Amino acid sequence: MAREIYAYECTECGTLHYPFKMRCRNCGELEPFKFKTVPLPKRGKLLTFTKVYNLPAAYEVATLGIAIVELANGIRVTGQLEVDDPTIGMDLLGDVGVVREEPYNRYWGFIFRAA
Amino acid sequence: MAVDLEKILRPEDHPMPPFPAKYMTLASGEQMVIRQVDRDEIPDILQYVAPLVNVERDFYDVVAARLYSEILAYSRHRYQDQYVLVAQVDGEIAAVVNGRQVTPNLGMSLHTVALRRGLRIGAHAFATKMEYHMDVLGHDEVLIVAESPIGFRRWMIEYQLEKRFGTPHELGGVPSWSLTRELFDRARDTLVVGRRPVPDELLAKAKAGILPPSDPPTPPADLLAATRSMYDSTGTALMAQRWRQEVEHA
Amino acid sequence: MRDVYVAGIGITSFTRLEYPLAEIAAFPAMLAMKDSGLTGIEQVYVANMGAARVNHQTALASAVVDSLSLTPAGAASIENGPASGSAAIKEGFLAVASGMHDIVLVTGAERMREVNNLEATDFIATLTHPLAEYIYGVTLPSHAAMFTRLYMEKYGVTERHLAMVAVKNQNNAMLNEFAHLHQPITIEGILDSPEAMTNNPYVAEPLRFFDACPVSDGGAAVILVSEEVAKSIDRPLVRIAGVGQATDTHAVHERENPTDLLAVRRAAELSFGMAGLTPSDVDVAELHDAFTILEIAESEEVGFFAKGEGHIALEKGETALDGRLPINPSGGLKGKGHPVGATGVGQAHEIVHQLRGEAGARQIADARIGFTCNFGGFGNNVICLTFVREN
Ligand SMILES: CC(C)(COP(=O)(O)OP(=O)(O)OC[C@H]1O[C@@H](n2cnc3c(N)ncnc32)[C@H](O)[C@@H]1OP(=O)(O)O)[C@@H](O)C(=O)NCCC(=O)NCCS
Ligand SMILES: [Zn+2]
Repeated sequence: MAREIYAYECTECGTLHYPFKMRCRNCGELEPFKFKTVPLPKRGKLLTFTKVYNLPAAYEVATLGIAIVELANGIRVTGQLEVDDPTIGMDLLGDVGVVREEPYNRYWGFIFRAA
Repeated sequence: MAVDLEKILRPEDHPMPPFPAKYMTLASGEQMVIRQVDRDEIPDILQYVAPLVNVERDFYDVVAARLYSEILAYSRHRYQDQYVLVAQVDGEIAAVVNGRQVTPNLGMSLHTVALRRGLRIGAHAFATKMEYHMDVLGHDEVLIVAESPIGFRRWMIEYQLEKRFGTPHELGGVPSWSLTRELFDRARDTLVVGRRPVPDELLAKAKAGILPPSDPPTPPADLLAATRSMYDSTGTALMAQRWRQEVEHA
Repeated sequence: MRDVYVAGIGITSFTRLEYPLAEIAAFPAMLAMKDSGLTGIEQVYVANMGAARVNHQTALASAVVDSLSLTPAGAASIENGPASGSAAIKEGFLAVASGMHDIVLVTGAERMREVNNLEATDFIATLTHPLAEYIYGVTLPSHAAMFTRLYMEKYGVTERHLAMVAVKNQNNAMLNEFAHLHQPITIEGILDSPEAMTNNPYVAEPLRFFDACPVSDGGAAVILVSEEVAKSIDRPLVRIAGVGQATDTHAVHERENPTDLLAVRRAAELSFGMAGLTPSDVDVAELHDAFTILEIAESEEVGFFAKGEGHIALEKGETALDGRLPINPSGGLKGKGHPVGATGVGQAHEIVHQLRGEAGARQIADARIGFTCNFGGFGNNVICLTFVREN
């Protein structure tokens, strides 16, 4: 089954949040966990990006692409970027893959490629 | 006739083409010359390397002690097929690098030490010795180790060196890494710089004499205050400094 | 609220300090006590970000107050990311303004050179959103780089403008004996010469090595007092006239307009509002230039220049030491260094130094109103302070 990254939809007012928040940014509902998980769309547009050379110790690669992407539903996410010559505004397709590996842990997240 | 013992002790160098001097502009806008020095100039360099033996940070102590012994042995004809390059700004010593030829196809990088920090001078000097191995000596591969985290970043990470952990390095078998011709060609555009020939005046100034560094790394003022954390692997070096201080005060 | 004055200041060199962290905090505190002649400290705030993680030490304030033999004074550690320093000053300010204390010591210290650069980068990156940013390998340089790219697209900022900030600040640092970097740099050397791209490689495109501040150890301290105490000692009167703090979304991607730094804008408005002053009143400012782009962007958001015009003011030399509004005479984070938890206190140190007329070769003539902006997270927790020289 394909893996998903979820947004959190307030069950009171329908506002989407990513990442998770305890309290809705829009209606301020005080009852905790009044959110429904909604899979984020995989398609989006490149908002801004960088290629990083000085990586934290966990990475064995020499460089890493990092991007902020605006997904089809307007929600923005941060993710890794695997595009050779990116341009702002280009169409991307996200995949959910391993974005960080530590001795006892694997982290999954968005990896974007040209659509 | 008496036995010529010196002849027995003295290694004979294989012919190695000389390194053609080059120069470059530093981030400060100053010009730096990198050139090969022969045995005659080694004593000048030794006096500036010696004080670094007391600088624990960034493993200057380990690197300086080893470099000192290697180039001393070179100048006294006790080290085979070694070369020494020096980087100078306005005559001042800025970096020293050395290495050696193991076989006509294999180079062994020994040490890199920067005597002025903050301008990638060490990185330029290292790139230059790799250029000497690859382009002048025609080696297919250079074996390299790192002693310090900054060295690891500069060499292993920036050049994306290949692991050769099965092959011992002359510096004591610490895991070797390798710069292959392919990796060097990939790094050439971004990491290897310099122009030739060096303008006469610039070269003359460099050759006129190796001047002392104006702001070399020094040990902390209060050695005893330099207590290190449990994570620090250089505690023994600090102990050596303490003992020295105690001796001096005795 | 009572008025609050800075009675004493002290600082260590920002560099690599091979001393225990508590001593790095205590040393500038002793200088500040000497400077003010005040030792009857009632409360101590210690600003620091990494003690627990980098130096394996918790409850730093208890160690510092003891090391200074100031027990039984109250003491608390303040951790607020890279804005810890100014957050501690704010606490000290409140303690005096409220009337609860008359003499408060605020000292900031960081010893992050104890670990290697890779670990230091990772340590700072832990301030990013753990699930939506950190796991991807996001670091502070990557946030700054993505921000820079948009700024370039939108406002025409170029690599040359960034390099101009670096050159200005590293050259200012040459005049500051406490600064980390004492290497002059030139546009030729980092941008134009055939070797420039190797001298100044990318760290996170489009940001290059000389666009980033170094990793530093260091400490700085100020002593905050009531008006009565300030007037009882023989030191120039520098008052903290405005304190403004504001926050923004934790994950940077959630910001509606990604080239806005709303927390900077609001913190500055609050600070100026409280002081009853405007940005055009400022004679000298220390802005949080952890990356060169931030000096440009902050100079706009705090109101010195219109949005999108900071780089033009820079081009005209308005922010140079001899310009209309000198920014970062100390060298800023870029040249002076960035011991994260101490930085905000270090900025205040420089401004007080300037307003007292004690800054030597980098003194701004007749500076009477000074301003600091201490930028925590990637702009998600910002504190701006306004200082006024009174006599
Ligand atoms: C390894 C070595 C040769 C690299 O030299 P280099 O490429 O010239 O790089 P530097 O060591 O000058 O780089 C660090 C300096 O850059 C400067 N710097 C760091 N970040 C900076 C920034 N953001 N902006 C401007 N300058 C910065 C600082 O001055 C820093 O010095 P500091 O650590 O004293 O604060 C040199 O560090 C050295 O001789 N180390 C000791 C011996 C050694 O480790 N040899 C290699 C063994 S493998
Ligand atoms: Zn809601």
